[in-house]
Amino acid sequence: MADGSAEARASRLSVEAAPEGATLGSRIEALPNAVRVSVMLLFWLAVWYGVVELFNVSKDFLPNPIDVLTRIVRLAWEPVGAGALLTHAWASIVRLMWGFAAAILIGVPLGLAMAYYRPLQWIIAPLFELFRYIPPIAWAPFAMFWFGAGSAAQAYVIFTSSFAPILINTFRGVQLVDSRLIDAARTLGAKSWTILFEVALPAALPHVVTGLRIGLATGWMALIAAEIVAGTGSRDGLGYLILQGQQQLHADLTIGAMVLIGILGSLIDVGIRTAERRFAYWRE
Amino acid sequence: MQNDLSYENVTMRFEGRSGAVQALERFDFQVNSSEFLVIVGPSGCGKSTLLHLTAGLYKPPTGRILLGGTEIKEPGPDKAIVFQNFSLFPWKTVHDNIDFGLRINGIPATEREEQIKRVIHLIGLEGFENHYPRQLSGGMQQRVAIARSFVLKPRTLLMDEPFAALDAQNRQIMQEELVRIWQTQRPTVLFITHSVEEAVFLADRVIVMTRRPGRVKEVIDIAQIAGENHWRSDPFDEVIRRADFQDMRSRIWGLVKSEISVRN
Amino acid sequence: MNGAARNNGLARALLGAISVGSVLAAWWLVTSLELVKPLILPPPVDVWTGFLDIWHGYLNVPFWNHFLASISVMLGGYAMAIAVGVPLGIFMAWNRVADWVFGPLLQILRPIPPPAWIPLAILWFGIGYAGKIFIVFVAAAVPCILNSYLAIKQTPPELLNSARSLGAKPHTLLFEVAIPSGLPTIMTGLRIALGIAWASIVAAELVVSLAGFGFLIMNGYRNLESNIVFVGMAAVALLGLLMNVLFVHIERALLPWREDQDNG
Repeated sequence: MADGSAEARASRLSVEAAPEGATLGSRIEALPNAVRVSVMLLFWLAVWYGVVELFNVSKDFLPNPIDVLTRIVRLAWEPVGAGALLTHAWASIVRLMWGFAAAILIGVPLGLAMAYYRPLQWIIAPLFELFRYIPPIAWAPFAMFWFGAGSAAQAYVIFTSSFAPILINTFRGVQLVDSRLIDAARTLGAKSWTILFEVALPAALPHVVTGLRIGLATGWMALIAAEIVAGTGSRDGLGYLILQGQQQLHADLTIGAMVLIGILGSLIDVGIRTAERRFAYWRE
Repeated sequence: MQNDLSYENVTMRFEGRSGAVQALERFDFQVNSSEFLVIVGPSGCGKSTLLHLTAGLYKPPTGRILLGGTEIKEPGPDKAIVFQNFSLFPWKTVHDNIDFGLRINGIPATEREEQIKRVIHLIGLEGFENHYPRQLSGGMQQRVAIARSFVLKPRTLLMDEPFAALDAQNRQIMQEELVRIWQTQRPTVLFITHSVEEAVFLADRVIVMTRRPGRVKEVIDIAQIAGENHWRSDPFDEVIRRADFQDMRSRIWGLVKSEISVRN
Repeated sequence: MNGAARNNGLARALLGAISVGSVLAAWWLVTSLELVKPLILPPPVDVWTGFLDIWHGYLNVPFWNHFLASISVMLGGYAMAIAVGVPLGIFMAWNRVADWVFGPLLQILRPIPPPAWIPLAILWFGIGYAGKIFIVFVAAAVPCILNSYLAIKQTPPELLNSARSLGAKPHTLLFEVAIPSGLPTIMTGLRIALGIAWASIVAAELVVSLAGFGFLIMNGYRNLESNIVFVGMAAVALLGLLMNVLFVHIERALLPWREDQDNG
């Protein structure tokens, strides 16, 4: 989180008019971010280890980091329930993709249409507001009434969660397209469809991609929530692993699965941020 | 002679994203007490840095700056600085903005009220004491910013393109207002601008800086041409029509342009 | 122009009313024609009786107990998240050592979605209130920390430098400049955290609980009473909306100087 730019340095929030000097502080600051972060992480792992050993904490309550690591590694080939790590990770990702894809297929065109046709906006918006305050996970019971206690219900919860940011950002993205761009295209004789696909859509793309990123993040959260709420209903998935750990009093499995979820979630986020930058290359 | 500024061999570097940037190199200069000094130069030549150093906001790695013979080591109300925008506290009223400096410097409450009243009268904003900055125009905001510093009786007043964000008419009005306000106390002024007309109108002397790393390219004495009663006391529209004014303007603009011409 | 604007407003309200009205009408129609099982979509009448049922004491537990259970636990976790998160975020932004120490920890814990903490909380605290307060705390703390951090980091440098120039010491800079300046962003963080806290308590109660709205919903599910589930969802949504509206009003009262208030 530390910001190394010249501006941050120059207007130094911690306020002395700092000399360009070899103080311990400035030496640490000069280290590359990765080094500092890694050292700190090792420190916190050591603290974790120390606390567990010193206070003789029970393994069922809080295992030490080594135990968690070995558990994670064992997961790679040792099945829990339906399969080993890959089975569960894959199951989760498949659900995520179904819900997310549905959210894109419905949300993006709808957002476009709403921005293009004012009356449509006035029809949809009140309905949207009505449903907006229902937390996605609250849909789980109805989803299970409709689809049974399986993957489909969880995919629906994910859809509900991803849909809102995708719709809102697509809508706003098109709405915020500089009207001068549209006017310029019109004076050059472009027809409605051309304007839509060659002017409005590309101009709105950065916003749309941002919506996708947020939708993916909230979808990921909804996925885990759905897998946990489904309880004994679901038989696979990373959320299922966390739950299994708790029900069998295997804290190392629970924490291990949480760590894996965190890592996987970060990778997905980093991945889509890279894509986001690629699509917004013409903006500052 | 107490409010003179001395720059001795001043350098300044910044660590940027793509390596170190040398903002100033061996900057040497003397500013006289109560002088109105204006600095012009191409973008990035280090004039803003010079101002920040003079205000004591950073310390130069080599060289030193002296105010009235004493080295400047930290910021303080004797070296007041006014920025282009974002100076005023948006959550405080005009009254409280001006009160801030007085309060943190230990001035007792009754005296603070007197001073605030006096300086609000000086800048001509009676009736606006309880307004928030966002309710004021750009020119009015800058008046408050100046007042906030002025009420602490600074020895030197440092201004970083203070009127650049104003439209042409308000800019002109503020230039004349600044002169009027300044005359009441006459601190040494260090004024940065990109507008050569503004420089020639206001200055006793004008420094033209080279492009980065900044050094003194040339010093132009305006006071000797502006007359016994410096032309800044006269209305801008009249002064700008004078031939000697236009000569100065062309000469300085030529100097600045030659520093811009090669790179940006 | 005014007439057209009024017509627009009218058309908009009309279309909105028609839209919501037709959905309600379709709901009534589909269920009274028994085109779907009540399990899939409970008829309005059932929803109404379900509501009365809950209001007067579903399963012999009065409505007030559920309300209190959910809200009090949420507020407990939320208050803790603010009490810990906001000062921590501010501290990390102001002091770079704090940033170095806690930053990496935050980066590791942040990607773990709040629901993922639920089983661990059960493991550690059992199925009582303590575990749920923990979950709400973990969920709500993140936006509190993040936004407070950003709020301070994004303090305009001119604001800080102006204050320094007026003679402010670091203590004053933090409490009288950076924090007031960052208050809007901090409040936004608190508003986001409120929404997350509410969603988290509902999620936690869906997994395991003895009272509260999540419990109502889950119980309705287990008894195949879709009307109860419906009422539960609607109550959650309504309370979420009310809390948000309340918060916005508080925000507006605390920040009268914001630009986006339609004031004088």
